[in-house]
Amino acid sequence: MVTTVEKSVPVVQLAGVCKTFRDFWRRPRVPAVVDLTLEVRPGEVFGLLGPNGSGKSTTIKMLLGLLYPSKGRIAIFGRAPSDVAIKNRIGFLPEESYLYRFLDARETLDYFGRLFRLPPLVRRKRTDMLLEMVGLKHEARRPIGEYSKGMARRIGLAQALINDPEFLILDEPTSGLDPLGTRQIKDLIRELGRHGKTILLSSHMLADVEDVCDRVTILYGGRQRAAGHLAELLSVRDKTQIITDQLSRQTIESIRDLVLRLEHKDVLDVSSPRTSLEEFFISIVEDARRANVATSGAAGAGALAEFLGGGKAGDVIRRLESAADTSINSAAVAATPVRAPDEGPSKQVLEQLSRPRSEPTPASVAPSSDAPATTAAPIEADADVLRQLMGDRTSPKREASS
Amino acid sequence: MSVASVGVLKERPRRVRRALSAVPRAFRAVINLSPLGRTNVGAVALHVVAEGVRMKIALVFLGLLAMIVLALPFSIKGDGSLTGAVQSYLSFSLSFTGFFLGVLTIFLSRSISDELVHRQSFLLFSKPLARWQYIVGKWAGMTIFNFVFLAFSFLCIYGMMHVILRTKPPVEDSYTSGLTPTSKVDIERLAERKALIGDGTEPTQSADRLRLFTDVLTARHSTMFKVPDFTAVAEEEFEQRLREGFYDAATEPVDRAKEIERLKGKHEARWRIIPVFGQRVFEFENILCDRSPGNFIQLRYRAELYDYPPDEIFRSMWVVGDAGKGATQYVMLPRHIVGRFHTIKVPADCVAPDGTLSVLFSNVNPYADPNWFETPEPMFYNTLEITRDGVKCLFTVGSFEGNLLRLFVLMLCKLMFLSAIGVLMTSVFSYPVACLAAFVLYALAGLRSFMHESLEQFDKYDEPVTATMSAFFNAISSGEGGKASESFQTLAAEFISGGLRLIFKVVPDFSYFDGVETLVNGENVSLVWVLQGVGELVVLQTACILGLSILLFYRREVSETSF
Repeated sequence: MVTTVEKSVPVVQLAGVCKTFRDFWRRPRVPAVVDLTLEVRPGEVFGLLGPNGSGKSTTIKMLLGLLYPSKGRIAIFGRAPSDVAIKNRIGFLPEESYLYRFLDARETLDYFGRLFRLPPLVRRKRTDMLLEMVGLKHEARRPIGEYSKGMARRIGLAQALINDPEFLILDEPTSGLDPLGTRQIKDLIRELGRHGKTILLSSHMLADVEDVCDRVTILYGGRQRAAGHLAELLSVRDKTQIITDQLSRQTIESIRDLVLRLEHKDVLDVSSPRTSLEEFFISIVEDARRANVATSGAAGAGALAEFLGGGKAGDVIRRLESAADTSINSAAVAATPVRAPDEGPSKQVLEQLSRPRSEPTPASVAPSSDAPATTAAPIEADADVLRQLMGDRTSPKREASS
Repeated sequence: MSVASVGVLKERPRRVRRALSAVPRAFRAVINLSPLGRTNVGAVALHVVAEGVRMKIALVFLGLLAMIVLALPFSIKGDGSLTGAVQSYLSFSLSFTGFFLGVLTIFLSRSISDELVHRQSFLLFSKPLARWQYIVGKWAGMTIFNFVFLAFSFLCIYGMMHVILRTKPPVEDSYTSGLTPTSKVDIERLAERKALIGDGTEPTQSADRLRLFTDVLTARHSTMFKVPDFTAVAEEEFEQRLREGFYDAATEPVDRAKEIERLKGKHEARWRIIPVFGQRVFEFENILCDRSPGNFIQLRYRAELYDYPPDEIFRSMWVVGDAGKGATQYVMLPRHIVGRFHTIKVPADCVAPDGTLSVLFSNVNPYADPNWFETPEPMFYNTLEITRDGVKCLFTVGSFEGNLLRLFVLMLCKLMFLSAIGVLMTSVFSYPVACLAAFVLYALAGLRSFMHESLEQFDKYDEPVTATMSAFFNAISSGEGGKASESFQTLAAEFISGGLRLIFKVVPDFSYFDGVETLVNGENVSLVWVLQGVGELVVLQTACILGLSILLFYRREVSETSF
C-alpha cells in the first residue's frame, strides 16, 4: 500500500471533545471525557495515560467512530472518524482481543485482510509473515477459542497490522501478556515507530509507556491533567545522577568530600544498581527456548514482518544496532538514566537511518546537536544501502515528507 | 485414561472442525471467483457462512433435517399406494425443510447482536467497512447459507424420491384408476383411445405408477369453473320479499346491498348441492392445452356426499366437451371412493378450439342401468355438494423438475425475507428480544390468512375509536360500571384488531406463497406466482426491511454504554 503522510496535517486532532454517556431515557449520566484537546503528529509514539475509567478507551472509540462525541471536533488525517476511507490507514488493537472464537488464526487474519480488500495473494503472504512475527505460525489452525489470553492478544496485534497501517492505535497492548510478550510488544512498537508509523498507545502500565512513548497526555476523570514530552515531564532538574563502574569505598568518600567542598551539597544515595526482574525473567525463558523445551503457547516472536519494513532490512538494522549498542554499553548500564546518555556516532547513524523522517525527533533519544560533522558522509551512504535492501518500500513516505 | 487416548479425544473434535471448515472453504473458493468475493459485503457474507456451519444449533437442525429427508422414505406409508407414499414424502420433507431453515435463519441472524455484545464490532468498524456493507453482508451471508442448504435438501429429496420409486412396489386399487371409457355416445372414438387411457374395469398393474406420473410428478395448470352469476335472481327475490313485507318485522333497517349479497350466497350454495338425478354444467375458460391426439386434460373433483353408500363408492356420469363448439364429446363413468380427490382423464380434444370446456355432471348411477350393463350394480341415492374448489380442470404445462425448481425459488424468497427480518431485529434489539420478535413475525406470516379471517369477528365494532373512548369516559364519570366495562372491552378489541391489521399490512402471507401442496398435487407452481413472490417478498419487502435496518444502524454507537 503506497500512502503518503501529509507532514503538515496532524494524524489526530481533538478539539474540546466531550463525551457524556446517557441512560436508557437519554438523560446524561456519566461524563467520560471532558473538554479534551490533543494532537498526535505524524511519526510519533503518543501515550494516553490514566487510571481505569479516566476516558482513555472512550477517546479511542471516538477516534474510530465507534462512539460519537457529545461535543467538540475530532479529525483523523484531517477527516471525520465516520469517513470509512480513512480506516484503510488505521490499525487498531482493542483493550481485549475481541476475536471470533470459532475462527482459527489464519481465518481471522484472512477475514480482516478481506475487509481491507487485499488481494488473496497479498493476504496469504501477510498472514504468514504476521503469524511468524507474533510467534503463532505453529498454532495457526487452532480455533482462537482455544488460545490463551496472551496468544489471542498476539493475533489481535497481527490483525491490527494486516493493512500495514500508517496510524496504529493500541489500547492496553500489553494486557494479558507475559513479561516476554510485553517486552516483544514494546520492541515492536519501538521498531514500528522507527519505521515511521504513528502510534497512539493507551495504557495504565506506566513502565510500558515510559519505555516507548515520545509524548504523553495524562487523563483523570475524563480531563487532561498533563501533556508533553516524556523527557520534559519526567526530568528531575534538582538532582544529578552519576553512573560508573563499581567504585571502592575510598573513592566514594572522596567524591562525597569533593561534592561537599565544591557544591556545598551532600550525596544523597550511593548504591549498586540491580538488574530488573523483567530482564532476569526474559533471560530464563530465552535459555529454555534455546534448549527447545516444548510449549503449547506462543513461540518466540519473529522479526518484524517484511511488509511492515522488517525482513532483510530489519535484520540489517538490528545487527547494526546491536553492534552499536555493544560499543555504547561496554559498561553495564542497568539503571535508567533521567536523560539518555550521549551516544556514539554509530548509534546516531542508526537512529537516523532507521527513522524515515528527520522530524519529529523524540526528545529522549535525540541526537546531540554537537554530533561530529564527519559522520555525515557515512550516513548518506548507509541510507542508500538500506533503501535498496528495503526494496525502496519506505522511500515514498520519506520523499513525501522531505 | 492414558495420555495417548486423551490426545486422540482432543484430536477428534479438531478433525470434525477441520471437516466442517471445509464447507466455508468451499464457499470461499466459489465466492472468490465471483465479483461478490472482492467486496466487503462478500467478506462479511462469507464470515456468516463460516459462523453458520460452526453453530452447534445449526448442526442439530441440519442433522434433524438430514434425518427426515434421508430416513423418511424407508418409513413412510401414506395411503399404502406408491402415489400416496411419494406425495406424503414430498409433503413432509419439503415442509420440514422450509420450517427448519426458517428457524435456523432466525438463529443465524443472532450474529449481529452477538458481535455487538461480544464487541467484535469494535474491530469490524475500525476497518474500512461501511455500515450498509455490514448489514447487506449479513443478509447476503444468510441468503447464501440458505441457498446452499436448501439446494442440498432439494437434491436429497429428489434423489430419495427416486429411491422410493425404485424400491416401493405400486399397489393396485381398482377404484383409483377412476376412468371407465364406456359410452354409447362416441364408443368408436373411445375404443381407439382405450389403449391410451386405460380401462378402469380392468386395471393394469401399473395404474398406481401411472397415476403417480400423471397426478403428482408433473406440472399441471389448474382452472376453476365459473360460478354462475346469481345477482339477477337475488335482486328479484329481494324485490319480491320487499313487496311481500318480509322485512317489515326487522328491528334494524335492511341494507339492500348486504341483503342481496347474502341472497346470492344462498343461491350459490343451493346450486352447489346436486340432488339425485340432478345435473350441473361446469364451464371452464382459458384451457390453453395442446389438443392434439395423445394429449389429455384432467378433471379433479371430490365427492362430498351427504349420505355415504354402503360400499363407499360413488358412481356418476360426466359428459365432457361441447360438440356445438367444435369439441369432441366424451362420456365418463367413474367409480370413486367418496370423500377423496379423484382425477378423471379425458382426451384433450374435448376442449373447444376457443379454449372453453363444458362439463355436464349427472348425479346418476349408470352402472345400475340394465340397458348399459349386463350385470347392473345396486342404485344408491346420494345428494352431493361441490365445494368452491370441488371441480378443477387440469392440463400439463411443464415438468415436475421445473416445478421443483420454481418451488425452490419460492421457498428461498421466504427465507430471504426472514433473513432480512432477523437482520432488522438483531441490529436493533439484543439477541433474546430480537429472536423472540423474529419468531413472532415468522409465526404471524405463516398464520396470516387464518388470523386475518379470525379478525372478521372484530368487524362488529363499527364506531370510531373516539366515540368509544368518550362513551367509556362518560360511563366512568357517571359511575355506570357496567357501561364502562363494556366500552372498555370494545376499546380494547378495537386497539387489538387495529394493531393486528397494521401488522398484517406489513407482514407477508407466507401461506399464500406456500407451494408445497401445489407441487404435491402435481399442479403448476407457476412462473407468475414465483415472480410475484420475488417481487413482493424480495424486491419490495426485503429491500424495505434492509433499508430500515441500515437506517437504524447507520448512526448507532456500536460501543454504546447506557447506565
